[in-house]
Amino acid sequence: MRKYLPIIISLLVVAGIAFVVINKKNNQKTKHKTEEKFTIGNFNKQKSCARHPEFLKQLKVTQPITIDLSQQQFKGLAFLWGKNFSKVIHPKAWETYEHFSTYALDEVGNVYLAPMPFISIKSTTFNLQKNIYKLDSKTGKLDIWMNFDDVHPSASNPYGIISLVYDCDDQTLWVSAIDESDYKSQKGVIYHVDVKSKRVLQRVEGFDALTITLLKSEKGKFLLAGSARENALYAYAIENKTLSKNAERILELPSAQEHIRKINVRGQNLLELQTIPFSYTLIAQTSEGSERNHYSAKWDSSSLTWSLVKK
Amino acid sequence: MSNEIKISMGILSVGLVVLVTYWFMVEGNDSKSLSPHKRVEERIILPQYSTKTYGDIPEVKEYLKDLKKVIQSGQAVLPLDDSELDSSGVLAQKILLKNKAFLKDTIRNGKPLHNDMMRIRPAIVSVLSDSSKTICETHKCYQAEKYNYVTNTTTRAVVDIDNKKVLEVTNHAGMQPDISLRLTHIAQAIALNAPEVAKELKRTPRRQDMSMANVRGALQGSPCQNSEHLCVAPTFSDHKNEQALWAIVDLTEMTLAAAKWAGLGKTTTPACISERSLQNRYIMKNFCEKDTHLEKNGWTLDYRLTGSDGLEIINVEFKGQKVLSTAKIVDWHVAYEGKGEADASGDVVMAGRQVEFVKGDEGKFFFGYNDAMGCPMFSTSVVLPFNGPLVKELYDEQKQKVGFYLTQDFRNPKWPMACNYRYENRFEFFDDGSFRVVGVNKGRGCGENAIYRPVMRMDMAFSDKENFYKYDGSWKKWLTEQSDFQKDAKVYDQNRYLYKVTDKNEKKGYYIEPNRGQFHDDSRGDNATLFVTKFKEGEGDKDLLTLGSCCNLEEDGVERYVSKNESIDGENIVLWYVPRIKNDARAGHEYCWADTVIDSNGNIEVRTFPCIVGPKFVPIK
Repeated sequence: MRKYLPIIISLLVVAGIAFVVINKKNNQKTKHKTEEKFTIGNFNKQKSCARHPEFLKQLKVTQPITIDLSQQQFKGLAFLWGKNFSKVIHPKAWETYEHFSTYALDEVGNVYLAPMPFISIKSTTFNLQKNIYKLDSKTGKLDIWMNFDDVHPSASNPYGIISLVYDCDDQTLWVSAIDESDYKSQKGVIYHVDVKSKRVLQRVEGFDALTITLLKSEKGKFLLAGSARENALYAYAIENKTLSKNAERILELPSAQEHIRKINVRGQNLLELQTIPFSYTLIAQTSEGSERNHYSAKWDSSSLTWSLVKK
Repeated sequence: MSNEIKISMGILSVGLVVLVTYWFMVEGNDSKSLSPHKRVEERIILPQYSTKTYGDIPEVKEYLKDLKKVIQSGQAVLPLDDSELDSSGVLAQKILLKNKAFLKDTIRNGKPLHNDMMRIRPAIVSVLSDSSKTICETHKCYQAEKYNYVTNTTTRAVVDIDNKKVLEVTNHAGMQPDISLRLTHIAQAIALNAPEVAKELKRTPRRQDMSMANVRGALQGSPCQNSEHLCVAPTFSDHKNEQALWAIVDLTEMTLAAAKWAGLGKTTTPACISERSLQNRYIMKNFCEKDTHLEKNGWTLDYRLTGSDGLEIINVEFKGQKVLSTAKIVDWHVAYEGKGEADASGDVVMAGRQVEFVKGDEGKFFFGYNDAMGCPMFSTSVVLPFNGPLVKELYDEQKQKVGFYLTQDFRNPKWPMACNYRYENRFEFFDDGSFRVVGVNKGRGCGENAIYRPVMRMDMAFSDKENFYKYDGSWKKWLTEQSDFQKDAKVYDQNRYLYKVTDKNEKKGYYIEPNRGQFHDDSRGDNATLFVTKFKEGEGDKDLLTLGSCCNLEEDGVERYVSKNESIDGENIVLWYVPRIKNDARAGHEYCWADTVIDSNGNIEVRTFPCIVGPKFVPIK
């Protein structure tokens, strides 16, 4: 029996290595399969920390209140309130920095605003796209809050900072800029900015996000991003307050011309998406009526699919 | 070494080889499963032939004949052939073609509008209202869809066949339905007969090579003409090369709208097919990202589309002699006259543009905007190029070929709706060495009191040193930067030329012949202002953003470049030429105008009344 020991040992060694190899391969396969079916999981609308500015109370403004950045009636921003939003607060000073695309409210009512070039290019237009603006909660004063010296809008791409969202978890702003991109390459940047210190905590390059929003699901925290280049919604995982390097594509819209301009989490597994045709020119932003579409995007966790309904 | 040791070493060696092979074999298979489709580079083809190409296709011809017959009989809906219907469907169609609610949108101002009945089939539960659902549980119900080509609206009706009653009618604006079998055959016939498709496939296309996977499956937006037309995309698969040719057929225009080669993978879903996005990508890749070289009739030049200065020609030579460094139309100023006090207290936006107000004399004011033309993506343009630059033959009034021209069509996507514009940038090259820089406006303005001013910039290239002259009975040399109102000129050399530009030695040069309506193109003249400036890099050599005010008629915007009155004697000079056109909307006198009418087929017909301006440059001999 002893003389067969080397053979038994060699068989055991081969069997052991085979076990490890096969297991490892199986794990890889499973990992690939998981990667192929990236999902954000079940989610629901979260309670936001956002508060309306305090100066509205002093002005005895009552609910409902909405912030109008449509630029159709008012340049800059305006607060619409009262029955049918028929009452308006829009001091001329709020037109100083031209046009805005998105806003984010913090827990004390400050409004952070992302700029937008609108229809005509003036000598000041490009510089205005490099800033985040802040409407002070107490005073209602509108000012440049933070300047990004690495943002460079130009005649071949007039956009700069384009979207932002406030993160109630750590008092930070997530900000997207698309100025560096050209026809051949996508060089957009997503910044993570600490509000207190105005320090850039993270800078992720390589994705043009026309809009961003935060979402919490059973799988964790995500930054959803509507692509400026494609008719698709992407998700970045956020772990330990850090954005994953790559965005995962999670759904596609029916028309190649549609780009997601606004994302709202409306309820259990339900997103509301607003789309516009976007081509890094000024005409896109000016489109009205039928050019803008609204979708309800419902996540079905059993079939792992999104169903889109145009509204 | 004992045999057992040898055997165990053998087991180890063979085992390791097998495991290594397994590792890499599985690796290879996995890679394959992750990328099942070969990556095929997208290639876009835009139509090169006129829509008339398709008029002679038997299926199209017969369809148009039937349509005309229906419209002439005062009806508006082309019914489905009985062969497409079962007996209940035939009955449903009969009921619906007499139903007022179903036919409500088929007549406009007494004229029938082109409508097609598309599908009639047993009703499916998901389209029924609650009340219809209750009835249709016990009754036989059919659903029908018709499409209105003029309003781009689908009307859906549900018919209770047992009671011969229409239960509901709903309208879906901007939506297109599943198309009829007849239209499917027509779309296929257009794709099969499209010269562009045959050229791409390198053979006569066959019906059996084609599929229509993305015929509308539900009411949804159309892939062409900014979703205003009814379109489908028959596909020719090339399985060997893992690619497919998608042909977008516009059934409103009965023509091929665009085509593209793409891989067989997910990227070929209908979502990726859109006439506008295909055009944008084609134009960007071919005319915005690179210059195109052209040699024809002794002329050589390069051309490109700019970010906001329209079509630009560069390095123009005739028979080896340098002529132009560059020429382009940098802006169209659009101004309207108003009476009374302008309310400029807030921002006013008209058809997607910010309106500027300028106070005038005698209780008047002017308002309007500047239209920048340029690349469809990554630019500041608001008027977009359609279908890329084209080279066409140029004929004189005796229909003799006298040269060629290079042209680019720019449009607001919603043209010819009010306040949306269509411009053409055109450069004409004559066989005798003459050339003309031409701006064409095809309306449609917001009203009948518009003043259009295209700002043309031309940098001549006989030499680095040039001289400029104006004729006022004799030729007078200009020594400094200045401007001149062509419209005020009383005399012209040889009754044609008002200006000339020569090299410093006056051996070579060109006369400048302003347009006073003598070019047989129904123009009412340029009434231009001409500026001559010393060449400076920052003054329009690169893309110019908006130049000056749209609506201050006292200035054209170029004044800022002549304000220093610098010397131009023997300098590299730049010519700026700004025609001034007043539009006309009076019936029978239309100028710079466009209108839509309902034609004999019940379809929208666009009528254009272009105004054509721009000076001709004639070589001095």
